[in-house]
Amino acid sequence: MTPENLLHGPLTTQKCTFGCPIIDRCLGGGIPINSITELVAESGCGKTQLCLQLLLSAQLPVSHGGLAASSLYIHSEFPFPFRRLQQLSHVRSSLFASNSKDNPCDNIFVLGVHSADQLFDLLSKTDSLFTNPPTGMPVKLIVIDSIAALFRSEFDNTPCDLKKRSSLFFKISGKLKSLAKRFGLAVVVTNQVVDLVGSDGGNGLRVGNLGSMCSSGRRVSPALGISWSNCVNSRLFLSRNEEIVGEETGLVDKSGGDFIARQTRRQIQVVFAPHLPKSSCEFMITRDGVFGVDR
Amino acid sequence: MEVGRLPISASQRGKLIAAGYTTFSSLSSVSPSDLARDLKVSDNEAHEILKVASHSSGLERSEGSHLIVNGAQTAWDMLHEDWFTHITTSCAVLDNILGGGISCKEVTEIGGVPGIGKTQLGIQLAVNVQIPVDYGGLGGKAIYIDTEGSFMVERALQIAEACVEDMLETNGLPRKDFQACQNEMQAKDFLGNIFYFRICSYTEQIALINYLDKFISEHKDVKVIIVDSVTFHFRQDFEDLALRTRVLSGMALKLMKLAKKFALAVVLLNQVTTKYVEGSFQLALALGDSWSHACTNRVILYWNGNERYAYIDKSPSLRSASATYSVTGKGIRDSNSNCKRIKMM
Repeated sequence: MTPENLLHGPLTTQKCTFGCPIIDRCLGGGIPINSITELVAESGCGKTQLCLQLLLSAQLPVSHGGLAASSLYIHSEFPFPFRRLQQLSHVRSSLFASNSKDNPCDNIFVLGVHSADQLFDLLSKTDSLFTNPPTGMPVKLIVIDSIAALFRSEFDNTPCDLKKRSSLFFKISGKLKSLAKRFGLAVVVTNQVVDLVGSDGGNGLRVGNLGSMCSSGRRVSPALGISWSNCVNSRLFLSRNEEIVGEETGLVDKSGGDFIARQTRRQIQVVFAPHLPKSSCEFMITRDGVFGVDR
Repeated sequence: MEVGRLPISASQRGKLIAAGYTTFSSLSSVSPSDLARDLKVSDNEAHEILKVASHSSGLERSEGSHLIVNGAQTAWDMLHEDWFTHITTSCAVLDNILGGGISCKEVTEIGGVPGIGKTQLGIQLAVNVQIPVDYGGLGGKAIYIDTEGSFMVERALQIAEACVEDMLETNGLPRKDFQACQNEMQAKDFLGNIFYFRICSYTEQIALINYLDKFISEHKDVKVIIVDSVTFHFRQDFEDLALRTRVLSGMALKLMKLAKKFALAVVLLNQVTTKYVEGSFQLALALGDSWSHACTNRVILYWNGNERYAYIDKSPSLRSASATYSVTGKGIRDSNSNCKRIKMM
């Protein structure tokens, strides 16, 4: 057994860009390899959009911040957003400097799973995908969208079932980290949120930089509890909140609603990460993808 | 007789025999001040004689111990050994409640929720152990056992650079441009002195810990072993929980032996879990009750409002107290808040 010499490798961990310089700057360059990054958000905040964007930017050459790699997309929510992926790849094809006429979608392998056990089985059998990639590019990105859906229906809320569920978390996470280490993969996992119920701010245990996580005006907390929080290396929280930007006029329209202009503000925040300070960045979702906003 | 073989002056030998000290074992159990009184010499001289005697008798016996039970030591001897040295955490109040820092020769367990700064503290200690003796450190090397993949090289480099900067600042040297590239070179050296092991399963973890004895015998300047985290691979399915307990206790014993034998600090980072106790869920450190006996000291990191706190949960020699710290770009540092006072329990 010999220790790794830290000076032999690169002095910065390789990262996969998000495809937007503003978001990259906030998040230290992108998704690091050899690590599990979790995206936590309420539905409709942009998790899947960001994941689809990563599938494409992973194919960029390393000089452009990509991994020059194919990706494996494991989804538990159906159907797979194929049309949106095609739309994004058309828009971003202008960014690809390569002269090949490859369809970027050829470098994305999609698999649907229905249960956590199925996911674990699948991960135990994927070695050949990494050692003998079907296309020219090696597979260096795994996206699991979403992990929460796999667990939420199968386990009851009894201590016995929760223990079983918890040991499955560690098994899956251990397998993902071992694959990440062996093949230099970046792993992205998406998670849902649950509402925090309670008078004084609820029974939420503070994990990470954010005292409270708010989305759509409600206090929320990542699903799957503290056990799962121990299984991921970094956690990013995407939120969406309505902000009043206009002035109160007191006028009321026919249906009783007011005329105050409201705007949806979306934010991505670092909850915890070994290499990032508490930082956050506003973003928006357009036809062309997810982009950070400088304010 | 035995004292006749000691390399001391004839007059000293004569005094020893006259006072009745003829064998090594008679010298082994006497204190320097008593010997000084018996021989009518100064304390220093008595101390010198005793040192020579123990050295000589050490050469003749296998273990260097000259008491009735091989390998045993009197508490007096232990007191006279080098005082426990400490590794600073770079946060003054935290060092304060720890009695100077993380102590060598002991196993310290540090547990807390994700994001509280366990890995940050681990990296800070791996860097701080290397602070040269001239600057008040141990000048040692570190073994970092990473079971989770949380160790990021760029963060370690950042912390090492900040440590070098701090060292130069306390020395009062003015910072010029050439100093800056000297900083960079030195920070990289710090990285080179961290022996980094990445572990992907519990069998690898056990194998590595068994191997450490040999490794440290070949690298005697290792002064800290950090395991980040000790729990991760043990929280998977262990069909036989009794096996898990046995394996964990075996591991804990080995680590304690390493700490004692090589006089280094062992730092075990642990996770937090919910325990179902009396109908409600409570937070506790992972790995169960039997594991909680494995470490000498236990420190719990937690949030209180917006501040990070460290609390001494268990220690044979330290008082229960809590202190606040912060995680900055430079690593672990004192918190800027006004309530920096140490809270005694």
